[in-house]
Amino acid sequence: MINSYATVDFLKKALNGSMERHEAISNNIANVNTPGYKKITVEFENMLNAELDEKYVQLNRTEKNHIDNQNELGDNYISITRDEGYSTRRDENNVNIDLENAKLAKNTIIYNALIKQLSNEFNRMKIVISEGGK
Amino acid sequence: MGFFNSINISASGLSAERTRMDIISKNIANANTTKTSGDTPYRRQMVIFKEKDSTPFSSHFAKASKTLSNSQGVEISSIVEDTKPFKKVYDPGNPDADKEGYVSMPNVDVMNEMVDMISATRAYEANITAINSSKTMAMKALEIGR
Repeated sequence: MINSYATVDFLKKALNGSMERHEAISNNIANVNTPGYKKITVEFENMLNAELDEKYVQLNRTEKNHIDNQNELGDNYISITRDEGYSTRRDENNVNIDLENAKLAKNTIIYNALIKQLSNEFNRMKIVISEGGK
Repeated sequence: MGFFNSINISASGLSAERTRMDIISKNIANANTTKTSGDTPYRRQMVIFKEKDSTPFSSHFAKASKTLSNSQGVEISSIVEDTKPFKKVYDPGNPDADKEGYVSMPNVDVMNEMVDMISATRAYEANITAINSSKTMAMKALEIGR
């Protein structure tokens, strides 16, 4: 059976990752003047991509009892790490406020684009439902 | 969890920066105060920021469920007094002058306070930007399926 919500599920995961990143950026910005604070980074695109590639490896099913390879993407595709790297500031804080602002703007655009994609996907489904009956 | 969490994080940043601004204003206002209730000149105050940790339970839970752990924004751990020595100014006519005619002035450097004030303002603006982004993202998410 073809999962008609495969794209929706995938976009949902991307949205979750983007939101998690937004939270991390907010936290970095809130702690821009905290001595000793190390920035948090969120990475999910690579892992999502890898899981997507894995998903499209097609296997032949010669019998209906064979295991279906339409495996769901796991939940551990978002990796949250604390960047313990060098700091150029004397208070040992390594948040770069300009970089965080740029990341915030970028992340917001990506999030809005994902929402748009999701809306389009639902619109396509609506068209299939309504136009098919004519 | 979700958008309200990121708005809360930014709000904690706003409140911390505002408190810092209050203390800076207090320092500037008292830059020439030679007498306080403790009979000493005014001592410069500083705000110490600390990353706000969640409770031990929620941090373990977050670790287990692979969500953002230990990060609930920023909080003020303490407001401390600057231990730098007071500046001595020769002014024998001043009622607060000592035997040699020197008056102890507060250890506030107005220039320093102005720089801190600009830094606090910029950090406040950055937090506002983050809140606005959260808001537009949340409003956009409501449009799914329209």
